[in-house]
Amino acid sequence: MDELDLLKKAWKKDTHSFEQVTETDIYKMLHRKSSSIVKWILVISILEFAVWAAVSILFNTDDAIKSLHAESFSFYLKILTYVNYAVVVYFIYAFYQNYAKISTITSTKQLMQDILRARKTVQYYVWYNLIMILISTILGFVMAFIYNPKMSALKDKIAHEDSYITLSKTICVIVITCLLTVGVFWLFYRLLYGILLRKLQGNYKELKKIDL
Amino acid sequence: MSDHLEQSFVKQLKENQNIIHKICRLYTNGDDAHNDLFQEITIQLWKAFPKFRGDSKFSTWAYRVALNTAITLYRKNTRTVSTVTYEGQKHFLSQEDYNFEEEEQIKLMYQAVQQLNDIEKALVFLYLEDKDYTEISETLGISEVNARVKMNRIKGKLKKILNP
Repeated sequence: MDELDLLKKAWKKDTHSFEQVTETDIYKMLHRKSSSIVKWILVISILEFAVWAAVSILFNTDDAIKSLHAESFSFYLKILTYVNYAVVVYFIYAFYQNYAKISTITSTKQLMQDILRARKTVQYYVWYNLIMILISTILGFVMAFIYNPKMSALKDKIAHEDSYITLSKTICVIVITCLLTVGVFWLFYRLLYGILLRKLQGNYKELKKIDL
Repeated sequence: MSDHLEQSFVKQLKENQNIIHKICRLYTNGDDAHNDLFQEITIQLWKAFPKFRGDSKFSTWAYRVALNTAITLYRKNTRTVSTVTYEGQKHFLSQEDYNFEEEEQIKLMYQAVQQLNDIEKALVFLYLEDKDYTEISETLGISEVNARVKMNRIKGKLKKILNP
């Protein structure tokens, strides 16, 4: 006889070996909090949306522009800001849709796909924000370079003396700053979701392997 | 949610709790983890309960939610360590002579199943529950043919674990 069929025989008889929970136990369980991965993903995603919204509110560019007398820039920056709001609203809507779709009564594979999709939307949102930060940083440097009176010394240096060395030093500083910012964020997300999604991704791979 | 719904849920869950216990046994190691997973499955079942229409059996409906919770939603990693001893395996080898205790052999089978990965355990669980391949494939979201092929491979794998 097949080993598994032997187990099957025992499996059916095996119903009385578990310590039975009472109705009172079940009532109590219903009012406890879930600690499922979906819940964690939802909480973290909402925090991410909130953090990035706070970042864009806190870093008000208007004052900086005024102090630099760079009003000619402010029109474009306003457009950029509104486009940014529209994109953020779209992301929140898409994430909500994804999250609402996650259901435990679909097949295991579908459930995994839905969770990974919800996660991906937030990841795109984070990447979008990182790119926006990069663009703003570059824009900030350019503006400072053109309008900030303190920069004239540097400009003089580039124009006159060892122009190449100073210019390349400046560019190096900018590039390293940008890379460091993006790098730290990237590492943070790798760690956070690596821990959270490792098991799910492993099982998803396994399922896909079966279905090849 | 109404009290009536809650009452009906609690009653049905109590009657069908062995399904969940069995899944917990396959996916966890130790009482604490067992109870923890049991609770998470209960919460997930309760969340999904308003969508349960009663056109299928409570138990059939519960398989899906419970397995999905164990495989996908449950956060803690409960990979079990192999505890099969050499003596135990030798004991199993002598099954043809019928001089073995069936209980011991079943214990070994459980230990072998515990060494499978999460997806394989789900297939084994549904197989032990006498589900046909149509239902197994629908529950996991893979094709029927592939479910069948995989099940045969699992049987081979179990054989290898028991008779290395």
